[in-house]
Amino acid sequence: MQLDKVNAILDGKGEEPFDVIEALQDIQETYRYLPEEALYRVSEALGVPLIEVFRLANFYKAFTLEPRGRHLVTVCLGTACHVRGAPRFLDEVLGQLKIQPGQTTEDGAFTIETVNCVGACALAPVVIIDGKYYDHMTPGKLRRLIQAIRKQDEEAPTNA
Amino acid sequence: MPRAENPKALASLQQQLKEKMQAWPLRVTLSSGTCGQASGSLDVLNALKTHINDAGLRDKVHLRVTGCHGFCQHEPLLILEPLNVLYCRVTPADAGEIVSESLVKRNVIERLLFHDPVSGKTVRQEADLPFFAKQDRDLMGQNRVIDPLDIGEYIASGGYSALAKVLTSMSPDEVLDEITSSRLRGRGGGGYPTGRKWEQCRAAPGTEHYVICNADEGDPGAYMDRGLLEGNPHAVLEGMIIGAYAIGSRQGYVYVRNEYPLAVHHTRRAVEQAKEYGLLGEAILGADFSFDVSVVRGGGAFVCGESTALMASLEGKVGEPRAKDVHTVEKGYLDQPTNLNNVETWANVPKIILNGPSWFAAKGTENSKGTKIFALTGQVKNTGLVEVEMGTTLREIIFDIGGGPRNGNTIKAVQTGGPSGGCLPVSQFDLPVDFDALTEAGSMMGSGGMVVMDESACMVDVAKYFLNFLQDESCGKCVPCRVGINRMLEILTDFTEGRGTTEQLDLLEDLAWTVSVGSLCALGKTAPNPVLSTLRYFRNEYESHINDKRCPAGVCRALVHYTIDTEACTQCGACAEACPHDAISNEDEYVINDELCRKCGICQEACPADAIRKA
Amino acid sequence: MPKMVTITVDGASIRTPEGTSVLLAALEAGICIPNLCYMPDVTPLGACRVCIVEVVQNGRSKMTASCTLEAEEGMVILAHSEAVLRARRNIVELLLAEAPNSRAIQDLAARVGVERVRYPMRNKDCVLCGRCVRACDEVWQSKSLGFVGRGRNRHVALPFNVRPEFCKRCNACIDLCPMTITPCPGPMTEGAVCGLCASQLTMTENAPDTCVWCELGRGFQCARWQLRGVLDPA
Repeated sequence: MQLDKVNAILDGKGEEPFDVIEALQDIQETYRYLPEEALYRVSEALGVPLIEVFRLANFYKAFTLEPRGRHLVTVCLGTACHVRGAPRFLDEVLGQLKIQPGQTTEDGAFTIETVNCVGACALAPVVIIDGKYYDHMTPGKLRRLIQAIRKQDEEAPTNA
Repeated sequence: MPRAENPKALASLQQQLKEKMQAWPLRVTLSSGTCGQASGSLDVLNALKTHINDAGLRDKVHLRVTGCHGFCQHEPLLILEPLNVLYCRVTPADAGEIVSESLVKRNVIERLLFHDPVSGKTVRQEADLPFFAKQDRDLMGQNRVIDPLDIGEYIASGGYSALAKVLTSMSPDEVLDEITSSRLRGRGGGGYPTGRKWEQCRAAPGTEHYVICNADEGDPGAYMDRGLLEGNPHAVLEGMIIGAYAIGSRQGYVYVRNEYPLAVHHTRRAVEQAKEYGLLGEAILGADFSFDVSVVRGGGAFVCGESTALMASLEGKVGEPRAKDVHTVEKGYLDQPTNLNNVETWANVPKIILNGPSWFAAKGTENSKGTKIFALTGQVKNTGLVEVEMGTTLREIIFDIGGGPRNGNTIKAVQTGGPSGGCLPVSQFDLPVDFDALTEAGSMMGSGGMVVMDESACMVDVAKYFLNFLQDESCGKCVPCRVGINRMLEILTDFTEGRGTTEQLDLLEDLAWTVSVGSLCALGKTAPNPVLSTLRYFRNEYESHINDKRCPAGVCRALVHYTIDTEACTQCGACAEACPHDAISNEDEYVINDELCRKCGICQEACPADAIRKA
Repeated sequence: MPKMVTITVDGASIRTPEGTSVLLAALEAGICIPNLCYMPDVTPLGACRVCIVEVVQNGRSKMTASCTLEAEEGMVILAHSEAVLRARRNIVELLLAEAPNSRAIQDLAARVGVERVRYPMRNKDCVLCGRCVRACDEVWQSKSLGFVGRGRNRHVALPFNVRPEFCKRCNACIDLCPMTITPCPGPMTEGAVCGLCASQLTMTENAPDTCVWCELGRGFQCARWQLRGVLDPA
């Protein structure tokens, strides 16, 4: 695995104790997950024991050790969303894509995550797809959105 | 670079910027916090820019983007001045008409005004909204007039004057006195007297003193801090700088939760700009005082809102709390004296310095002074960020400000204080909201989350929801929290799936007590609150689940059955197509397979003939 | 000469060097406060909460783990009040329901007076006491093991689940693990508190402060066993 990008991220880090977490955040954003080799490199470069780096990767929800799909669908399960029916279209999404929260579809297209409140409670129920917030969601709307994304993918295949 | 070398330079800069602001003939303010953007405000912004340019008005219109105004249900909001009109739920398609009619011809577009469903009246100005009538918007009001990405607007509206006053005419001890006399208490939920905390930190021995802003707002349903940090990050920064001066700190941190990318961006930009203007960094405003701030982004863990866990995270470790036998003001970040305060607490500081502590202490109740911001959400008509004087009753907030129930249902309860709080029934709605009254009743004010529930909510399900949340977010270190919460959830699951027994109620209470006294940190200690408060006020619902195997609200899936009324059924098949679990089949007639059915209710929504029944 | 402080535990006055944990001070003075994750000479973890005690100050009391509580002059500690006994019993009951077949947990249950388990039994083979982790980190300075995962997923693991080269193969993690103490040979009814410890149970009922010299202590270096000089070298 090419570690150039990782080295670039690690460059200049190490002064502040928090830098190790920031490095992991940057790596997660770059690769859409935390590759094992990258974590070994982080441990080496920043002098943080390997087991500690491994602990960080497993503790925080922002990090995944498995690659995420091309499209990230995050369903908010905060109290306001729950009270306005969020569990229902979590069901819809899971049923449609046939995976569980945290998993990715076989074709690598979609990953479903749940989050415990994104702070847009007035717009409940909220779903975030690829960083874009969708408000007042219903199972029907979500189904149509996912179908639309699927269609877009088919018509314009993404670069590897 | 207009760096303010000293307080005098700042004052003249303020004057300049103010005049520059007032020189604009026309001003358009668009609310665009996270909620606004989710409602499409960025598209509205682009459309407006295009039309303004096309109309040749670019040099005459000050188009300003602000953070959240608090009237979240009706975003995106647009305010036009000097016409002094508020437009709601603006879409990009409206932009052309707004420019040609309202900006050029000064005509009001009736259909874009707010039409109050309660009184039937049309409201023209933001200040006349019934939503704002009973509010006291000391903090949130600022959001309306400030572009968070432009420090000039903050300065023009008087920003950093408090800091100038402190550096010119007050000693650190005098600042401590002012904050103490104001009787400001922490807004993050704990309510610890802020002045006392600052004093204790200052007095504690150490090589460095640190100042932290806790922006890890994790309570689901609460987003007050997001509104403040996105909309007015400089108010928070100014508070921190003043606090650092009083405490003797040279380094501060703002720890923002991972799920608030816009707040991180706005705060980082604010820090950059404050440094450019000489208001942060070395020799602030020319005084012998240097202070720097770093903004860090959390990794995604509710437990990091707990102060010792936050500091552990800041140290590059997992967010595991430690016992607070020794407080963080003595040994906190890197084992040094650390003062941690919530976003709203910091935001209150500049005004207290400018207006004096008695101004602040004149508002509120006996032991809870000032105002508090609440995130009013759930089954009310007007959801949003509400700021009221401490002591305002629940009833006033939910009915007068919130507009009463959404959908015409009856309101049943209000959940306050997030997962550490509890549910209060309508009979308790005349309680004043402050640090003490709600706690006596079995809930707590907490950081400000207020979720209104109507008859469609099952209180046993609500308790189960919070336990599930806490189980997910527990760091897992100590037995009462890791195992105890799981066992409480196990019992509640038995209740909601028809296996509950009365003995389990006694066990639940014994277990709840154990978790509350045995847990290491506040997450575990307060975990039983939702269960205990719902048991206290809604015991009948528990008994219905246990004795009758019935869920009165029709929420608990195992106790609910969906069937198709074959007489009303038109055989259209919409239900079978909509069902995400392939539970509907068609032999002679459409039938729901109870084993496969997950009670999500999507079929009922899809049925055009209203033929699906929930029992 | 370290500064000495005087604390009161269950009415007894104890002098101990400032900064000693209340648990250690009590153990050295002969007062057994039951504990699980405590291990001499490493950082206390405060995870099991079995050693909780009441700290009384200004007429108010709060419960906290005695292993992480540093002794301060004038501290008043209640290690066997009704509330403490109830909390301790309930906590160990939770542990027993997690790992009913562990001899160490069975002994602990008998010591604190657990007579029934009101939860469905599970069968975990780790109670997350952290002895292995701290021994590896602090005694052997190897840092090959750690607590990984959050909440219910918390477990002890090697980095990437592979034993690293710098693991010293010292076996301390196995030696110090309370779960590796050989289960007692008596009949163990699935899901029941083992009856063989009944004699120990009677002893604790009659004289709660009496040490029952449980296998737990023999198995992993309880301070009491050390004080009596009865421990065989490892």
